[in-house]
This record gives sequence, structure tokens and C-alpha cells, in this order.
Amino acid sequence: MTGLYVHVPFCAHKCDYCDFYSVAGRLDLVDSYIEAVITEASHYRGQSFDTLYLGGGTPSILGAKNLEHLVTSIKAALDVQKFNEATIEVNPDSASLELFEAALKNGINRISIGVQSLADAELKCVSRIHTAEQALTAIGMAAAAGFHRISVDVIIGLPGQTWQALFSTLDRIIMQPIDHISIYCLSLEHETPLALHPPADLPSDDDQADLFVQARDFLQNNGFVHYEISNFARPGCECAHNLNYWRGGEYVGLGPAAASHLHGRRFKNRADLSAYINDPCGVVEDSEELGGEKKLAEEAILHLRLLMEGLDVKNMISGFNPQHTARLTRRLDMLVTEGALLFDGAVYRLAPSAVLISNTVFCRVLPD
Amino acid sequence: MENIRNFCIIAHIDHGKSTLADRILELTGIVHTTGGEQILDSMELERERGITIKAKTVRMPYKAGDGKDYILNLIDTPGHVDFNYEVSRSLQACEGALLLIDASQGVEAQTIANANLAIDSGLKIIPVINKIDLQGAQIDDSLLQLEAMLGLSMDDALLISAKNGTGVVELLEAIVVRIPPPKGDEKAPLSCLIFDSYYDAYRGVIPHVRVFDGSVAAGDKIIIKSTGKTFDVEEVGYFCMRLIPAQKLQAGDVGYIVALVRDAGEIHVGDTIISGAFPQTPAIPGFRHSQSMVFCGIYPLSTNDYGKLQDSLQKLQLNDSAIAFEKESSAALGHGFRVGFLGMLHMEITIERLQREYEQELIATVPSVVYKVVNLKGNELLIDNPSKFPAPAEIDHIEEPIIRARIIVPPEYVGAVMELSLSKRGTMVSMEHPDGKRVLLVYDFPLAEVITDYYDKLKSVSRGYASMDYQFNGYKTGDLVKVDVLVNNDLVDALSYVAASETAVRKGRALVHKLLKLIPRQQFKVPIQAAIGGRIIAREDIAPIRKDVLAKCYGGDISRKRKLLEKQKEGKKKMKMIGAVEVPQEAFLSLLKIEE
Ligand SMILES: Nc1nc2c(ncn2[C@@H]2O[C@H](COP(=O)(O)OP(=O)(O)OP(=O)(O)O)[C@@H](O)[C@H]2O)c(=O)[nH]1
Ligand code: SF4
Repeated sequence: MTGLYVHVPFCAHKCDYCDFYSVAGRLDLVDSYIEAVITEASHYRGQSFDTLYLGGGTPSILGAKNLEHLVTSIKAALDVQKFNEATIEVNPDSASLELFEAALKNGINRISIGVQSLADAELKCVSRIHTAEQALTAIGMAAAAGFHRISVDVIIGLPGQTWQALFSTLDRIIMQPIDHISIYCLSLEHETPLALHPPADLPSDDDQADLFVQARDFLQNNGFVHYEISNFARPGCECAHNLNYWRGGEYVGLGPAAASHLHGRRFKNRADLSAYINDPCGVVEDSEELGGEKKLAEEAILHLRLLMEGLDVKNMISGFNPQHTARLTRRLDMLVTEGALLFDGAVYRLAPSAVLISNTVFCRVLPD
Repeated sequence: MENIRNFCIIAHIDHGKSTLADRILELTGIVHTTGGEQILDSMELERERGITIKAKTVRMPYKAGDGKDYILNLIDTPGHVDFNYEVSRSLQACEGALLLIDASQGVEAQTIANANLAIDSGLKIIPVINKIDLQGAQIDDSLLQLEAMLGLSMDDALLISAKNGTGVVELLEAIVVRIPPPKGDEKAPLSCLIFDSYYDAYRGVIPHVRVFDGSVAAGDKIIIKSTGKTFDVEEVGYFCMRLIPAQKLQAGDVGYIVALVRDAGEIHVGDTIISGAFPQTPAIPGFRHSQSMVFCGIYPLSTNDYGKLQDSLQKLQLNDSAIAFEKESSAALGHGFRVGFLGMLHMEITIERLQREYEQELIATVPSVVYKVVNLKGNELLIDNPSKFPAPAEIDHIEEPIIRARIIVPPEYVGAVMELSLSKRGTMVSMEHPDGKRVLLVYDFPLAEVITDYYDKLKSVSRGYASMDYQFNGYKTGDLVKVDVLVNNDLVDALSYVAASETAVRKGRALVHKLLKLIPRQQFKVPIQAAIGGRIIAREDIAPIRKDVLAKCYGGDISRKRKLLEKQKEGKKKMKMIGAVEVPQEAFLSLLKIEE
């Protein structure tokens, strides 16, 4: 299976914690951006795609008309009729019934809404420009427009956040017509306003860990499956596009800062909108084709992120050097002895207690 | 021989030795302009720290006022407390010494120490007051101190500015007139003294020698006296910023001998080289051997690098014979070396050189002195590694090395210095006021207290005005205990230390707390404990790590995530595994940095 990702690098305003590539207040560039995406897409004509993911930035900021133009043009350029799963990220402040209807009409069948929190004070604290009420309205509109698959993003560890506050957000969210929740820990990314001026009441790493564990328990008790480190879904409602990442699958990323994995090679477009507009096919960087032990370890780590599915070494080993596989298995078995991984005779899985320290564990999956 | 003058410059740190050497090199035409860079301080590290570590020599032709041609051999000497031994070696090769005094500072602790060494070696001393160009130059005070503190006549002193060259020609004349030419018999069998050596990758160990009797030339057979090994001389020559081959070296000369000596262990400073034809020639007496005062363990970070580390230590030893090392192994760190140094600065410099010049990734443990542990049977054990101490129940008493320190300090800082010294278990021996501007304090300290941070603290409590010099002064019984450190319930031998009973608990707590901060959180809880015998005196737990996760994962930029993990893994590789615990290199030196 192959995925198609389109990075829409526009935002109404930059949130304090965000280090994703996007530009604020440059909607004048939208038209030329769309033209560039179409040019880049035509480069992949003939390739078949199973999923589409419009991410950002803030794809919903495009509005109904631009969205329609973007999606139809991409399909035409690629000569693709339909995607099995097509998701668009929507921010509450740019959600509208019109947008949802246009999306649905153009084959988009899944919505991911950037709710982040249902406490207005928390939202304001990191300069999100919408309210809790706008977020709930956006979910309602999406459902009313006919979307059955709605996901929300929630951030934990917002300034001053207690379990009480997080509980109140989650408790209301699960009452909404949603089938998927992504939970991210707030982190201080280099050079972001939040990192430069961190608020005093920022929960510590340990506090975040507590919040995460409580959130996980709560969601699991309410019928959600913790299927990937940061993702929870009602059974069967996992995001196919993202699953493909963790399964080591191939995908094409269009737009500035979009990453691709194609024919065994990973590469990425430079995070530079104007360079991209100038030359949509000429901004590839960081191209690498991993081989041997590194590749094997990368795949293993990706699979281990899938908490239920896990890593079935036997399914993975075809094509890898048996010596490398043997060494990998030895490292994995060591982690099993230490309790960081679970092994049922066929599949390795991250132990629930190790999910939050998965980097520590993954470091040891990498070859020495 | 009549026209040779072998001399050195001795001074307290920063009194201008290197600057004066540069002027002399210019005046004798060896170099033209120095462009501000000092010529003799060539090693990168020396430059950074602004001190001279290795003695080097330069041969200079000089046409004196009497119209005759002379050869001046300048032997550069180091100027820090740790390096007295090297000074004494260089002195052996000379007939005279320029005793340099910074007119703005006056006589300082090492001025006295170096002057005494030179007087004891029977050298002709020329007192030189430097930096007379400075506004703050106190020439008269300095001259008075010469007489009062060193017993030298002020009438003999020359006044110069090494910086602008004032008085330096007169100084060269004084060298020719006042310093006697070397004595020796060119016809007698060869006898020369090794006072330094360095390693050349192509030509092996190259000893620096002072010829006392006879001569040596390419093609000769020589014998290294202490080992009896014979070598064929390939080349002899002089130092003139680089090696300049010569026909022969003869009595009175200072130069080098290339004899393709491959093995580091063959050449020892202080040894005598004699002629292969006269194997009975006696060794040159009176050479003091360096005595290691401070020891620490040096281990490769990765056990695979043991051989490389051994190699580097051997090469380093060729350039610095004051380093002593032998194999040791530690339960925590594996195979490594116990390395002996002249003092703390010497240790720091050596470790830096190993890391920088030899690119070794290593772990250095907390320095220790050599204790005399007397057990109940009355046997005396010399122990330079606290982890080798017998159990407390087997010990009758412990003796520790004492040093006698001479501290010169302006009166207004005496109180602070006394307070500091008390906290370092110092006992005052005497206090003198040679003049109104300075106080001479003599203290006895346990060496162990001084090797940690006494010198730095002395400088800081006196705003840099205090100077210090010390000498070994025998052993003394102390109320001492060994403290062990346990990480995750495993005793880490490399962290054991010896402390005075009264401070052991306080130090233990501070160390445990420091380790708590230095050791990163692990997958599991890690208790850190300090113990005397079986008794736990301090404990803190490192809580297990709770969160180390890359949760923000959309966009599919997998390569970036993998690279972040690889970077994290690299960081972990720089740590030492103690059992299952990752311990950073600095942790092993943390005892030095605890704030009590
Ligand atoms: N004004 C003035 N400064 C001088 C004179 N001689 C040396 N200095 C300065 O004093 C400082 C120390 O001089 P060095 O020649 O490095 O001293 P040193 O004795 O070789 O020091 P070590 O190598 O540490 O033993 C430098 O900043 C010199 O520029 C002088 O005659 N006049
Ligand atoms: S809306 Fe999303 S992409 Fe835009 S700044 Fe905020 S977090 Fe970043």
C-alpha cells in the first residue's frame, strides 16, 4: 500500500509550541502553492495511492473552494479516482459546514480536528486561537455534514494542567461522535516561543507521565484501543494512512517539508515555501537509502510503536541478512528479560510500562 | 669549551620567562620577529594555560663585547609547583641560572623554591628584575626582597624589560662574563646525562643530553648505563628551534643523540650515556628521581581501547618522564592503569593531552595520594588506590603524606588564607613578615587536602595575590577512613575515597548528592549510597525515568526520528556501564567538585 501526504504550510497564527513548518498570514501564496503541488503531483502520475492525508499547517484554512481545487487537481494529475481513506486536518477556527461538505464531495472521508484542549485558559496559554466551544461545534458540524470518521488531537502537559482538567477535556471528548484520539505530550521545541519563555507552571516530565498514564487508562476504560504510542482508536478505526508509516510502508509527500518513502529511499522536501513554489520538484534534501542493519533496526523500531500489532520478526526478516536479524533478536530478547518488551513466542511488543520511555528502549534496538 | 655558556631561566609563573627567552632568541639572530607569539611555549596546551610544561633547549651563537664568539645554550624550565622535579633536571645541565623577578610582583613562593634549587645545585645565579617598564614596577622593593628573602646581593641584579628589550644586551654580556664555562675532559671516556627526551615517530626516542666528558659522533657505539643496552649512534646535533645535525657533541655541549631507540622503556631521564668502548665509566650521580605524589586510575571508555591507551601512555612518558604508570584493574571499569603524577596540575595536563593529542576516550578516577596503612600484624602497606585498602578491622593505623607549603600573601588576605588552611587540616608552622607588604606563612598540610582544590581556593580567597610552593615533608598518622560508594547496590571501586573521619560523612553526603545529579535517570530506580565499612552513611535514590518518548509523530519524517535516536544512543555510548547503570565519565571525578 502507498500513501499520499500533502503538506499545507499555512496557518492563521503560529501556536507557541509549534515547530511544524508553516507560515502565518501568507494566504496570498495559496494559489501559487496549489499550482506547485499540482506540478509536483504530476511527477508521480501512474503511481497508485491508497490513502490521502492533508496535513499541516492548517489545511482547513484553504477554504472550501481552494480545497476542492487542490483535491480534484491532485487526483487528476495522478490519475487517481479515489482513495480508500482520505483525511483532512481541520482547526476549529477555520471549520465550516461549507468546508466539510466540499471535502466530503471530493472523496475525503475522515476528519482530524485540532481540539488540543477543552479548557479555554489552557488554549490561550499556548496561543491557540480558538475556544473549546468552537472545537465542539466543529466536531458537530463534521458529523452533521456526514463524516463517520472523526479524530481529535489532544495535547497533554499544557501549562497548569492537572488531571482534573485533562479529565474534563477527555470526558467531554469521548461523548462526541469521534472514533480516534491522538495524544501528544507538549514538548519544548528548539527556538519556539514556548521554549524561549517557558511558563512557570509547565508540568514536569514526571507530571506529564502521570497525566499520560491516567489519560490512557481512562480512554482504555472507555473502549479505545491504545494502538500506537500516541494514538487511540475505537476497534477497527485506526488511521490507515499512519499505520502505513509504522509498518514501514511507502508514501509520497507533496509540499514543502513533506517527507517521502519511495522505492526504499527516504527523502524530504526542503522546508521553504517560496523555494518550493519556484521549483516544486527541485527542493529534495536529506535523501537516504538505508541498508543492512540500520534499515532492519529502523523497521523494528517502527513496528514496535504499534503496541497491539507489534513486531513479528519472521514477517520482517525476508530480505535481511540473517546475521543482522540474529543480532537484532538478541537485542530484543535482552529487552524482554528486562521487561521493556513482551514476547509471546512470535511477536515482540512494547510493554505498557515502557511506552513512555520508548526512546530509551529504541536506542537499545539500534545496532551498536 | 671555554666559549660555551649553559644556563636556564628560573622564575615564578608569569614573571616573564618566555618573553625573555624570545628576546634572547631575537638578539642572537635565531629568530627575527616573534609576532607576539611566544616561541618556546609551543605545545598547544601550554599556550592555552599560559604555562611552560616541557623543558626545551636552544643553542645560540653570540658575539660578545670582548669580540669573541660564544655558544649560549638556553635551557627552558617549567615554572609551576608541580614541576619542581623538571626544574631540577634542567638545572643539572647548566652552570648558571637567571633568576627572574617581576618588579610589579616581587619575590614569590616559586621564586624562592627555584632559587634554592639552583643554589643547591651549585649554579651561578644572576638576579634579574624584569618588567621595569611597568608603571607599577617596584624595583627597590624587589631588590630589598632579593637580599632579605633569598640572601642574594642586590648589587648583582640587572634591571630589564623583557617586553621592550631594555637591558637584555647587558644581560647577555653578564651571562658570558659571570657564568663559568663548563668543565670537563674532551679526551676522557664519554659521559653524558639525559635530562629530557622526546619521541619521534620515525627516529624513535631522542634523548636530550648534556655531555660532561668525552665526545660522541655518528657511528659510535653507546651504552645506556642503567640497562647496559648498546646502541649505534645515527646522528648527533644541537637544538636550534629544530634539530641541527653536527659532526659531534663534546664535553660541555648540550644536544641530542639519535640512536634508533625504539622502546620507550630504554631511555630514562637521569640516566647516563657512556661509550661502548668504556663500559666501566661510572654513572653521573646526584640526579633526583621524580616522585609521584598523586595517583589516579585511567581507564579506556571502551575496553577495546586498552592497547591504544597503553601505547599513548608510553609515548607520553617519553616526553614526560615524570609520569609513572602500571596496570591495574577495577571491578567497575575493567582494565586500565594506575598513573602517578607530580601533582594535580600535572595530572590535569596529562589527561588533557591524552584526550587531545592522543584522542583517547578515557575515564579518570579521583586522585589519591599514597597512604601507609599499618595493619594489626604491624605490616606496612603502601596504597595508592583507596579501593585497595584493607577492611577497617584489620587496620591498626593509617599514615598519610604531609607537605610543607610556603605561602606568600599580602597581609590583608592572611585571615582568609588561615581560615581556608584550617578547613584543609593545615597546621601552621610559622609566620614571618619579611617586609610590610607580604607575609610568609609556612603550613603543613595532608597532601590529600591540597591536591583537590586548595590551590584554586587559595588563589580565589586572595584575589590571585597568594603564591604557593610545597615540598614533601614525610608521613604522619591521620584519623582517616575509607568511604565506599555503591551504585545500584554494587560497590564501585573506582569511586572509593579516603577522608578524615570528621569530614567523611559530610563528604559522603555531598558526593552522593552530586552523583544523583550527574547520573541520568535510568529505566529503573538506582540507589546511590556511601558507606564506611558496612555502615551506610548517605543514601539517595535516582528515580526511574518516566518519560523519554517522541510522541509527536505525524508527517512521516521517519529519518529525523531515527537520527534523533542515533544521537541519543551516541550520548549513551560516552557513558560507562556500571552493572546496568549508565554512568557519565565526569561522575568519576565528581568528588573533586563537591561543594561541602
Ligand atoms: N610590561 C611587561 N610585561 C612583560 C614583560 N615580560 C613579560 N611580560 C608579560 O608578562 C606575562 C607573562 O610572561 P611570560 O613570558 O609568559 O611568563 P613565563 O614566566 O614564561 O610564564 P610561565 O610560562 O607560565 O612560566 C606576559 O603577558 C608577558 O607579555 C616586561 O618586561 N614588561
Ligand atoms: S495550527 Fe497547527 S501547524 Fe499551525 S501553528 Fe498551530 S500547531 Fe502549528
